[in-house]
Amino acid sequence: MRVAAIVPAFNEAKSLPALAEAFRACAPAVDVCVVDDGSKDDTARVAASLGLSVLRLPVNLGIGGAVQAGYLWALERGYDVAVQVDGDGQHDPAYLAALVAPIEAGAADVVIGSRFLAEGGFRSTFLRRAGIRYLSWFLRVRCGARVTDTTSGFRAAGRRAIELFARYYPSDYPEPEAIALAKRAGLRLAEVPVRMNERSHGQSSITAFRTLYYLVKVSLALVLLPPRTQRAEGDAS
Amino acid sequence: MSSGILPIEVQLISLAVLLAFSAWVVSLIRRQRLHLRESLIWLVTTLAAIAVTAWPDLLVRASRLVGIQVPANALFGAGLLYLAVNVLAVTIGLSQNTTSVRRLAQESALLRAELSELRGRLSDAPRGDDGERARR
Repeated sequence: MRVAAIVPAFNEAKSLPALAEAFRACAPAVDVCVVDDGSKDDTARVAASLGLSVLRLPVNLGIGGAVQAGYLWALERGYDVAVQVDGDGQHDPAYLAALVAPIEAGAADVVIGSRFLAEGGFRSTFLRRAGIRYLSWFLRVRCGARVTDTTSGFRAAGRRAIELFARYYPSDYPEPEAIALAKRAGLRLAEVPVRMNERSHGQSSITAFRTLYYLVKVSLALVLLPPRTQRAEGDAS
Repeated sequence: MSSGILPIEVQLISLAVLLAFSAWVVSLIRRQRLHLRESLIWLVTTLAAIAVTAWPDLLVRASRLVGIQVPANALFGAGLLYLAVNVLAVTIGLSQNTTSVRRLAQESALLRAELSELRGRLSDAPRGDDGERARR
């Protein structure tokens, strides 16, 4: 099994050395691809000097476009599994093996790392936890996906999921929508417990007062999923 | 041509403005500052506005048909619709552009990665100076 890690990074030059070290220690066989989403700092140079592959986007596309670039890269190079790992230190590469295992066993196409299935670790604020639970309920009602940590960006994708996400990946706040798209496409979902850390540098892209906007926007996106029969072309906007 | 609802002066001025606007759009297309594909909707809707201005009876009949009592209100309604349709067309174009930009940015990042990998391999090769030359 050839495994790639997709690391979307926006101004994460300071977090990358620790992340690269963690990859070397816990998952040395994994090829790491840092997607520099038009950073203003040295993200691309730092990543290259750490010996990681770098995709340098000439403009800032947002998390959806950055992650999709990683999936395109993984598809082009024929990886069997692609794991999304945030560049800000929230996600611990030690869990990579656990995320890949269900795909390797042929039991799942998309595996989501859930902080709510694990004990301890960083769990976010009350408001956001409530939002995540609401999205979990909404996803179950809307398309039958059973996921506890709907906004987790720590997830592994098998071959079929890589093909789907390279072709069609939502933008803005893509995580819950991507789950719905995978479910719609007939992919099998699984969740494994992971512990998350608080980000080491920088700020979450979702500040507290934006949580409501986030929920409304994502709910709308879930209501307006493309028709099942339509073959997705290009990507969402 | 003239009917009760539009004074002839208003009619003439409106026609002049609409015709000048159409001429402007046409000249923009001819100088390739506007693509015909995106501006067709401007031309078609402006032609409709010209028709209504030249023959206000059309407006009176249309407003009677849908039950609007004051034809002037139909005019305002039609004007708003005209703007809404054109703004929507612009937004659709913008979304298409966003999709294209996203794809192009991803493609360029993939190509740049490929390029620097190939350069790396070239400079690792025995004839390293060729790699150096390629780098320039």
